[in-house]
Amino acid sequence: MNRTHQTLLGLLFVGCFGCRNGGEEAAGPLPVEPLTDLVVEKVAEDLSKPDPDAAFWGKVRAGWVTLAAQPFITPRPEATTTDRVTVQAAHDGKHIALRLRWKDSEISHAGRLGEFSDAVAMQFPLKGGAEPPSVMMGAAGNPVHIFHWRAQYQRDAIEGKPEMTALYPNAQVDMYPMDFKDAKGGTQEQKEKFSPGMAVGNPQSYPKNGVDEIVAEGFSTSAVQEGHGSAGLGVWRDGEWTVVLVRSLTPEGGSNLAPGTKSHVGFAVWQGGKAEVGSRKSVTMQWTPVTVQ
Amino acid sequence: MPKVKNWQLARDIEYPYDESRPKKQWAIVFDLNKCIACQTCTLACKTTWTSGKGQEYMFWNNVETKPWGGYPLAWDLRILEKLGRQDWSANGEYLGKTLIEAAPPTERVLHFAPTDEDWMYPNVGEDDSGGLPSLDGGAHMASLPHDQWFFYLPRTCAHCTYPACLAACPRKAIYKREEDGVVLIDQERCKGYGECVRACPYKKSMYNPYTRTSEKCIGCYPAVEEGIQPQCVVNCIGKIRVMGFINPPWKARKDNPVDYLVHEKQIALPYYPQLGLEPNIYYIPPLNADREYLKQMFGPNVEGALQRYRELSSDPVAQGLLCLMGSSDKIINRFEVKEGRATGFDRDDKEIVTVPVTEEIFVRDAFDEKLEVVRHNTP
Ligand code: SF4
Ligand code: SF4
Ligand code: SF4
Repeated sequence: MNRTHQTLLGLLFVGCFGCRNGGEEAAGPLPVEPLTDLVVEKVAEDLSKPDPDAAFWGKVRAGWVTLAAQPFITPRPEATTTDRVTVQAAHDGKHIALRLRWKDSEISHAGRLGEFSDAVAMQFPLKGGAEPPSVMMGAAGNPVHIFHWRAQYQRDAIEGKPEMTALYPNAQVDMYPMDFKDAKGGTQEQKEKFSPGMAVGNPQSYPKNGVDEIVAEGFSTSAVQEGHGSAGLGVWRDGEWTVVLVRSLTPEGGSNLAPGTKSHVGFAVWQGGKAEVGSRKSVTMQWTPVTVQ
Repeated sequence: MPKVKNWQLARDIEYPYDESRPKKQWAIVFDLNKCIACQTCTLACKTTWTSGKGQEYMFWNNVETKPWGGYPLAWDLRILEKLGRQDWSANGEYLGKTLIEAAPPTERVLHFAPTDEDWMYPNVGEDDSGGLPSLDGGAHMASLPHDQWFFYLPRTCAHCTYPACLAACPRKAIYKREEDGVVLIDQERCKGYGECVRACPYKKSMYNPYTRTSEKCIGCYPAVEEGIQPQCVVNCIGKIRVMGFINPPWKARKDNPVDYLVHEKQIALPYYPQLGLEPNIYYIPPLNADREYLKQMFGPNVEGALQRYRELSSDPVAQGLLCLMGSSDKIINRFEVKEGRATGFDRDDKEIVTVPVTEEIFVRDAFDEKLEVVRHNTP
């Protein structure tokens, strides 16, 4: 299954971006320094659509942040799986795009039982102010605004949410409730009654557009919000993910990054192939200051 | 970490949340001497609750043949192996560690994570017997005690007093209902991390790859709220089950069917109590299975329970209660046995059903004079 998806995704990416200069050329100079301060410059590009291979990234300053196995709550990883993420950022006056790169030896989209997805998240304090909340997903009364990309969500966006027959091509099922081969079945709503997550409207059960917008006030509190048009696109090549996350500079009710603003950012990475999910992740242990020029 | 009381282990145990016992606690008692592995219970649950997409492999109720069967594969052996040898004291106190006490610092619960393949053989080992293999042609059933043994183990979620699934969920999406002790996964909050799937040692929390949330036996709470027993209980062909509400031993009521079998007669035992969750499904152990194996599964009180079960023929009250099992779909809150008849009463103390403790015998001539027909001796 995974292999099929890899090939499929691969083809799609070739289809979308193959016409451009290859990613290698555009990958930019190797970062030489740890990132102490993320300065976001304005570029003369349309950033509304995420594009990890866009040529201009080659000219954007890159720096790396250090991650460690999430140490604060259990369950947590025994060892750090992702120790570094390379970060680049740019804005176009309306959107801010962050290009994030990290090493992951295998691509994982999740889908079947016991499979988990590669993923990355970035968080910003929801409220302005010089003092950010706890870097551990905020605190009561002082929330963080999170943008969470998963390879699994990206597959939803590109191929549609997989049917069971796509996840388990060899499985045989006689019929599902309200679903008949040669007679009129029930309405979509009636069918969804047999899928508890869908029946109660859990966003996890519906097709994703690639990125979840989340607000959290500390661990165990995160709740998916109505999106503000954020988007993400990732490519996995040679044991490395390159993911671009795009969000509005000034989302209504969200974290404000209008030009001239100072804020903070933090990151988390999950390696699906190492069964990382939820609190099993690598995280940045401190905020990185952000200046939007 | 808070200390909570676990009466099944006769000691306090560690649990991440404070002790808060529900007002009532959902429970099922199974008489394993009567289960025929017909799987009617399994199908009753399946057709009621898990016919949707992503639930194809799910059996919230399953019946496996012990010792070789297991759904998912070898679920019990694998967690016992992880926990390692643990002991009970002579007076029934558990000296070993529970799964929460044995958890490494990075985890909340000692666990193993089943793989996709592990769920694919729900009926593996069916009717395969344990005991000494016979290489010279077939099983030897001629000598006693038998070398060869097996028994059927029907299982639902145990709606544990100290659920590992609940303890493990980092999103706090699992809760235990105050009114009946039923443990539920909030389908709105669950994000499908599968921590409960990893943590539940009985493997009764299952991931739905279509809705991308985890699901589990809901104790048929919509029926239970109406005073009706769960689907897997009322459909049991062998009438081996009774569902009711169990009290902790210090509040046990002699006329409550579950309390009677577990606390008063002490013939029904929790399974794998040493894992420390205070599970609330109870089993009358099978008479003809390996005792060491049964002790591992049901704890140190197996011998006594079997002894008392053998003596039931001289106990009309217990016999009456066993006759009430499977005789009504209503939850029996109180029972009474008088003059050879057993009666069950509902939560309003209204009579639900009365059954004879010994079925009357009717003798019928082969030739029916009235209809002028000869009948076979079949009903
Ligand atoms: S319906 Fe009853 S007798 Fe049949 S397998 Fe289930 S528990 Fe056993
Ligand atoms: S049996 Fe498993 S799923 Fe059920 S309450 Fe106990 S720990 Fe949770
Ligand atoms: S109690 Fe209900 S939901 Fe649980 S196994 Fe039995 S039939 Fe299924």
